[in-house]
Amino acid sequence: MRRLPVYLVLDVSGSMQGEPIEAVRQGVQLLISTLRKDPYALETAALSVILFDAKARQAVPLTELMAFQAPKIEAGSTTSLGAALELTKTCIEREVQKTTADAKGDWKPLVFIMTDGHPTDDWRRGLDVFRQAKTGLVIACGAGPDADTTVLKTITEAVVSLDTADSSTIGAFFKWVSASISTSSKKVDLTKADSSEINELPPPPPQINLVT
Amino acid sequence: MAVIRLTTTDGQPVEYEDELIAQGGMKDVYFSPDRAYVVAFFRDPLDAQGQARLRAIVGPYRQGIFENEGGAYWRDLFCWPTAVVEQDGRTGVVVPVYQPTFFFAHGSVNDDMLGIKGKEKEGKWFASASNRAKYLPAEEKGNWLTHLQICLMISRAIRRLHAAGLAHSDLSYKNVLVDPVTGRACVIDIDGLVVPGKFPPDVVGTPDFIAPEVVATQHLEKTDPARTLPSTLTDRHALAVLIYMYLFYRHPLRGGKVHDMDPGQDETLAMGERALFVEHPSDASNRVRAERLTPAQRPWGDPASMPYTIAGPLLTDLFRKAFIDGLHAPLERPTPSEWESALVRTIDMIQPCSNQCEMGWYVFDNTTKPRCPYCGTPYRGQLPVLNLYSSRHSGAYQPDNHRVMVWDGQSLFPWHVTRTLFPNEHLSAAERKRVGYFQRHQGDWYLVNEAMPQMYDVGAKRDVPIGGYVKLLDGTQLLLSREEGGRLVQVQLVLGEG
Repeated sequence: MRRLPVYLVLDVSGSMQGEPIEAVRQGVQLLISTLRKDPYALETAALSVILFDAKARQAVPLTELMAFQAPKIEAGSTTSLGAALELTKTCIEREVQKTTADAKGDWKPLVFIMTDGHPTDDWRRGLDVFRQAKTGLVIACGAGPDADTTVLKTITEAVVSLDTADSSTIGAFFKWVSASISTSSKKVDLTKADSSEINELPPPPPQINLVT
Repeated sequence: MAVIRLTTTDGQPVEYEDELIAQGGMKDVYFSPDRAYVVAFFRDPLDAQGQARLRAIVGPYRQGIFENEGGAYWRDLFCWPTAVVEQDGRTGVVVPVYQPTFFFAHGSVNDDMLGIKGKEKEGKWFASASNRAKYLPAEEKGNWLTHLQICLMISRAIRRLHAAGLAHSDLSYKNVLVDPVTGRACVIDIDGLVVPGKFPPDVVGTPDFIAPEVVATQHLEKTDPARTLPSTLTDRHALAVLIYMYLFYRHPLRGGKVHDMDPGQDETLAMGERALFVEHPSDASNRVRAERLTPAQRPWGDPASMPYTIAGPLLTDLFRKAFIDGLHAPLERPTPSEWESALVRTIDMIQPCSNQCEMGWYVFDNTTKPRCPYCGTPYRGQLPVLNLYSSRHSGAYQPDNHRVMVWDGQSLFPWHVTRTLFPNEHLSAAERKRVGYFQRHQGDWYLVNEAMPQMYDVGAKRDVPIGGYVKLLDGTQLLLSREEGGRLVQVQLVLGEG
């Protein structure tokens, strides 16, 4: 059975200190407990967490939901988005099973990127590497007023933003992420077969703005 | 919390609490203060046709089903919207709440480690071998008999919709609530009903259940004449998939065959143009690769160890029509009424597993030494099989392709006594009462007559009065009724192992 790989790529730079980082911790917990109540996600979804500040590291390798243990999430220093993109590509190539002539592989991975600031490294180089990975929908979320949505818009068409980075908005974002993962058993729109667009996802709650 | 008061378009007062309780694919749902119904608002505005459709569903279509003979019967099988409301340009429907039996009473294993107690019993929990094995406790799983009953309820509900000229158009385990504990099912999300030529579908359906011809033409414009949209014929495909999944806990088309290196393309081909039954008798290219199954997926996930033929000759025949003959030929697919009839007769052919295993019941196959396909426990001792014949105009008795396997506690009902009755919504209360039962005494089987005034033992040439009984021997012939359509029973004694 194909797995649905999900990569959460989360900014833990210094500016996330305090309420935002606590909201991210709770968001990951909420995501796991919500998906464990969904018989479809339970059977197919696998989750990985990649954290980035001065460096990028994979805090949880791609793991099925029941075995998933929430990582330790602490705020650090700068915002190495480029390194995070590069690492995500490496992880996808290593962990997502490719289809062969003989065996079905995994679904294309869903990638959720959340950041609250402006990248401090060479993010364009990282993006070039990231683009070599075969991904499904990539959704970037700018959390709070300092997030650089122009950069995010270069990474993917599907960008959302949160007016503030606090427990209510970040919580709403993680709730939307879990609904988006569950939505694979969605109804298919009559006019569209392609599910790689953001309008195939459940409508975002009021705290989340679509960046167009 | 604020309570909002509204008047339905037909003038009835309704109330709801202003706190969102659920968000569906298209609707936002609110509770009434007494929790007897919900008000569900469509997030997007409905066009005139959408409005007309809703009015028809809560009005004439609803009345046609619920206010005719046998109408009360359908209240348990459909969660049907009762009224339309308008508020600030939004359209909503008033829908009764689901019955308590459709919510988990125990939840998951290990003291409900998943936290699903009190949640809806979405069908996917039960239609997956690994979810069943890993997460569901025995108290929630039911047994194979209750799963046959669930399939019967769903077939009956869809038969009724189709008889009214309606197509559900999005049948899936999301839109049918099931309760394996009691063997009940209820069709929900009825607001998307399709009326051919009048109200077209909004959605093509839910993955796993969309008919191959719909998947294969999905890339075409909606107006393209080659584009196939949901209809009663595609409902027939979805129904067959649902029944297969509830009986075998796996999908009939998801096998090992790779059609394309791109997963999305592969899915479109595997569910569409090149869909192939995993148990196709001559084309083995889409077989499930058993070596890749996890322990939790066995044995049900492996068709080689639990083939669809364990469902007995009648259902085997229909699965063949659905997934071999009719997979790409919609008109060949079995109708809901054929499934209903085959399921009723199959339920008469099952035996309790003497090992009381998890499956619990199995179709007794009297062509070989019968054994439980799940745990392998053989049937021991002798078992009477009643072959049913009925009189036709000529006065001759002809086989009905209906057999009753006897077990301790098995009963005869009026629909066994005459061919003119069939167990469905049309039966009166009296016709639902048993008229005879079977009992084992010192190794012999007896049929006790409770309410068959004309019962007659043909071989012994004597009447069997009400309160009387007859010992079942190989070759025993019993006439249950002398009326037109009355049944003649021919007893066959089958010997199990040991």
